[in-house]
Amino acid sequence: MHVVIRVAELTKHYGSIRALDRVSFEVRHGEVLGLIGPNGSGKTTLFECIGGVLPFETGHIQKEEDLFYLPDAIAPWPAQSVRWALDFVAGYFSAPSGLRDTIVKALSLEALLDKRIGHLSKGQRKRALLAIGLLTSRPIVLADEPFDGLDLRQTREVAGALRSFARDGRTLVLSIHQINDAERVCDRFVLLSGGTIRGEGTLEELTKLATDRLRTSGTPGTSGTPGTSGTPGTPGTPGTLGTLEEAFLALT
Amino acid sequence: MRSPSSWLFAKEWRELTASRAWWVMLLVIGPLVGMSFIGAVTAYGELSGVNGAAAGVGEAFSPLVGIWAPTFSAGELAAAFLLPFVGIRLVSGDRHSGALKIEMQHPLSSFARVSIKGVVLLAGWLIATMPAVIGVMLWASYGGSIYVPELVTVIAGHVLNGCLTIALAATAAALTEHPATAAIVTLTVTVGTWLINFAAAVNGGWWERAAAYTPTAMVAEFQRGLWRADVTLVAACLILAGMALAAIWLRLGVTVRRRVQETGALVIALSLAIAAASIVTASADTSESRRNSFSTNEEAALRTIPGDLRIEAHFAPEDPRRSDLELRAFRKLRRALPSVQIEYVSATSTGLFEQTADRYGEISYELNGRRLVSRNTTAEGVLESVMELGGVSSPPDNGEIFRGHPLAARPRGAAAVFYVAWPLIIAAMAFYVQGRT
Repeated sequence: MHVVIRVAELTKHYGSIRALDRVSFEVRHGEVLGLIGPNGSGKTTLFECIGGVLPFETGHIQKEEDLFYLPDAIAPWPAQSVRWALDFVAGYFSAPSGLRDTIVKALSLEALLDKRIGHLSKGQRKRALLAIGLLTSRPIVLADEPFDGLDLRQTREVAGALRSFARDGRTLVLSIHQINDAERVCDRFVLLSGGTIRGEGTLEELTKLATDRLRTSGTPGTSGTPGTSGTPGTPGTPGTLGTLEEAFLALT
Repeated sequence: MRSPSSWLFAKEWRELTASRAWWVMLLVIGPLVGMSFIGAVTAYGELSGVNGAAAGVGEAFSPLVGIWAPTFSAGELAAAFLLPFVGIRLVSGDRHSGALKIEMQHPLSSFARVSIKGVVLLAGWLIATMPAVIGVMLWASYGGSIYVPELVTVIAGHVLNGCLTIALAATAAALTEHPATAAIVTLTVTVGTWLINFAAAVNGGWWERAAAYTPTAMVAEFQRGLWRADVTLVAACLILAGMALAAIWLRLGVTVRRRVQETGALVIALSLAIAAASIVTASADTSESRRNSFSTNEEAALRTIPGDLRIEAHFAPEDPRRSDLELRAFRKLRRALPSVQIEYVSATSTGLFEQTADRYGEISYELNGRRLVSRNTTAEGVLESVMELGGVSSPPDNGEIFRGHPLAARPRGAAAVFYVAWPLIIAAMAFYVQGRT
């Protein structure tokens, strides 16, 4: 898979606070990439820099294909109905005919079409926003916290819909702070903490990286940590890490 | 297939009609204009002898002065205090809801986007002008005279003022993070222009030159039936600059330093454009009474005077004779002789303690090395002095006297239209449109 976005040495400050510190990673065509990090780790800032919404001081972003950045916590055109908003976005961004209906069906938006955006619940709004992002028909979509506000059933449905769009050739970059959600939908992960990249790769690559790092540093590993799937380690001999959550904790 | 711009037009129009601020403005402007129109027609009718005795003749019976100016002045009040909030709502709304982050990802330029908002707001403002248009129709139904060129000039001033307000509101909304701050900025600028007018009245000089381009002064020129190219060009420059400034500050992903640099370049370009526009002297007196001009014979005679005329008038800014001189004589002279240089000289703002000074109250005319001094401040006195100095004899009267259009009518049906029908229609439309969206 060829690289469609290459971020190199990206640095961004808010006054004296360094929000991003020489961040570098790649996005490959057709993958679902998860940007994983706790609140305040710099995920939104990184997305806004890539999406062209925020300026940055140093570094370079190379985009091979057009992208659309879908921000979190917005309620655009609150007085208008979901139907109108989808029609507007489809027309404004020249979406191919039929895409609107496909997206409405995939995200189960039929019942919401005549509701005003300002009257939607958080989860409903999130689904409507995802529809807007996917309707732009840009090859790459960056979605900030796409599962925030969704219940378990909705999360599974939306994850399935996103995977199906990725199978059809769209590249999705999702910023997620719930690691379980990320594990469910993403092909690869970028771990971000304190504005720096702590790891990049598939689940296997990250767990291996985390295990190697623990072994190298001689840290007592995850012994006794709830949910650890690896061999319980003894002091000085770390065990093997099996989940994204464990890898994340070990690497950040 | 519709273009992105047409989608954006449709979207902005829906957003405008979904805005309560716009409907409130429409609701309020009807009774506001109605009150002015009814008062104006009543006064016009009384002076025309509706109760049996006409009070006078001449300019008092010009609909331009008696009807159009007060009727459209009510609209200026709405332009100063209501329209800015409609504009701020439309521009700030996108930023606050997050819609801007979505819309800005389309390659359409920021200036095009802001211009579309401006055009939609102007359309909204033109709809808000409907009560004044209804006033014109009512006036015609009473048998009132309508002189189209002067009415068109008044409407043009009204539209230009709306455009200035829209540009100001867009700039304030783009420069500030919160709509409330934008509203404060807009009102501050409006009050600031009043302060300039006040300072001009007290200090004269550069203040006076600046005050000529404040929205209040610009509208006043149009309401006198005078179209001035410099005023129109300066207004156009200010409108374009306001929209450009809004476009600069609404863009996303651009550093503050770059925005400041672009703003600086824009301010320099605007200053140069205003300086260039302010030296344009073309103007047209569209009033039926030619209240801004000498008679055509007198103008023709003045134009035969060779050389550059220089006038020094020793009057303080607050001296009422100075405003009389300016409005009734110099204004007409400038139109006939665009190259005339007029300078006011005074040591104080009131002139109260200058009365005993030798030259105070003196008007000194200088042409081709010859000099003439007079104390006559009437239009006729000024004309006589200039012609005497230029060696031109007074032309014969060509019978251009404006007799006026008295109309002894009462504002029949106006109260029902403006105070009942208009609010009901607007309220019904607001409920229908807001319910539909």
